[in-house]
Amino acid sequence: MWLAIKLAYRNLIGAGLRTWLNVIVLSFSFVVIIWMKGIVVGWDHQAKTDMAKWQIGAGQFWHENYDPFDPFTLDESYANIPKDFQKSISEGTITPMLIVQGTVYPQGRMQSVMIKGIEVGQDVLEIPSQKLDTIVDAVPAVIGQLMARDMKLGIGDRVTLRWRDVKGTFDATDIQIVAIFSSNVPAIESGQVYISLQKLQEMTLLVDKATIFTFNKSFAEVEKFTTIDKFVLKEKGELTKSIDEMIETKTVGQSVFYFILILLAMLAIFDTQVLSIFRRQKEIGTYIALGYTRQQVVGLFTVEGAMHSILAALFAAVYGLPFLAWQAKAGWTMPIDVSEFGMAIAQTLYPVYSVGLVLSTTLIIVVVTTIVSYWPSRKIAKMNPTEALRGKIQ
Amino acid sequence: MGKSEFTALKGIDLEFGTGEFAGLIGPSGSGKTTLLNILGSLDSPTEGEAIVLGQSVSKLSAKGAARLRKESLGFIFQSYNLLQVHTVFENVEFPLLLLNYTAAERKKMVMDALEWVGLTDKVKSKPPKLSGGECQRVAIARAMVKRPSLVLADEPTANLDAANSHNILKTMETLNRELKTTFLFATHDEKVIGYLKRKIFMKDGLVDHEELVNN
Repeated sequence: MWLAIKLAYRNLIGAGLRTWLNVIVLSFSFVVIIWMKGIVVGWDHQAKTDMAKWQIGAGQFWHENYDPFDPFTLDESYANIPKDFQKSISEGTITPMLIVQGTVYPQGRMQSVMIKGIEVGQDVLEIPSQKLDTIVDAVPAVIGQLMARDMKLGIGDRVTLRWRDVKGTFDATDIQIVAIFSSNVPAIESGQVYISLQKLQEMTLLVDKATIFTFNKSFAEVEKFTTIDKFVLKEKGELTKSIDEMIETKTVGQSVFYFILILLAMLAIFDTQVLSIFRRQKEIGTYIALGYTRQQVVGLFTVEGAMHSILAALFAAVYGLPFLAWQAKAGWTMPIDVSEFGMAIAQTLYPVYSVGLVLSTTLIIVVVTTIVSYWPSRKIAKMNPTEALRGKIQ
Repeated sequence: MGKSEFTALKGIDLEFGTGEFAGLIGPSGSGKTTLLNILGSLDSPTEGEAIVLGQSVSKLSAKGAARLRKESLGFIFQSYNLLQVHTVFENVEFPLLLLNYTAAERKKMVMDALEWVGLTDKVKSKPPKLSGGECQRVAIARAMVKRPSLVLADEPTANLDAANSHNILKTMETLNRELKTTFLFATHDEKVIGYLKRKIFMKDGLVDHEELVNN
């Protein structure tokens, strides 16, 4: 085997440009596949991090009737804040949120919104709730960038908000936008108005009531409760499941691209191998005359083909490592506005690479290259050495 | 159209001893290359038996035949058959790699072989940079480097001019004399025939007649 590697290396280096063209194409596949996989991992990482920072914290407790995909459940999705949570709320490790349906009238248009009552100054989530104690002559409200853009609202703008209290009575007041935040999490921006929890409780006559609780990593009670009063624990993994499903779907789509990329590189290798077998007949015959068995020559040609992938990995490392490192630092800014994608995705994605990612990509390419190299090389096993020596095989 | 059968060799009964400098002489199609290939265990007789260094070629497995070629036989071809991307040193070193010699042993043996053929100054050159005569000298060095018992040379001077042919033949004659290696040629070149000690004339797959040259 060592001899085959040594000879294969000599043959490849000796072949010059033909080898390097294959190596360049293959190394490009290495770098692009690792980069693209890194982007997906980075996106997954970013989406989950942003979701945790802005929406779900380290986990949540939901009212048993609460279904974020069914607004009709909101009328029955509130209950008293459990006494067991009071201490943690005051310590700032868990924060309640009351969610009710409402309507805003920007420039006279009617738009449905979710009104979310959030504790002023909470720091479990990054929503700038501290701005909600701004003194203005309307109800101070915070909205996300998406909502601001859709409804053409800016800081200082006032808009009428209408809601129904617990008894079913409609009421309305003006809210004033005191802050606009940008989160990369469309679910908490689009059609969401954040006002003080206390204010919303007063407006809806739902004093001391909440719909969900979001806790951070310091919340110690999570081990104690899977349900508490009418609230059910939703662990982080469950809340980020939609991201996992989305990433999985994206990964399947990308696999098609990887397949095409590897296929192109493999076509070059296959072509080289087929050409080699016909062009190098005399050489094959010479190997046999000098004492190689035909199987050993098959082995030599297979190693030679497979070695393209090793050289490509080394070559890819030369220009790929600096490129991938730079990308991890500078990120990849998508050329189109991603805020309308409706998914948790940042405009600039930072690829995340792991040793496993690099090793698995390398392994897959080396194995596929070896198989593709072996395939045409099998023909050598059927060659007549005397014909090969004269280069007469057609 | 079906396959037509062609009998390349008929009724050949020859024996070669150690240290012979013999040649199969005849026109194209006389069967000399076929006989050389059988003796080199690259081909196998459909009938009869060819015993090379005590081993029956037709009874050898592929591995056994490869071992025989690797350990005991040297080949010199009409078109040199050098590995084009390898240097002169690497070409000559190749048979030794197959025999698992150490790097130091290989280096010494390769340099000795290149000295026999007068190419010690070309170790780093590659075949495309060499003349025809130099290429054939490299091929001789490659065939001789492992000190084989038998060297089979198929039209070794066919691509060479007269001066180079004589140079090559003198080298082989010297090696035959000094190392006691058996040389068997397939040729119709008068220059080669002039050097042979035993001349076997072939015609239509048969041995026509033999001539021995007494020194």
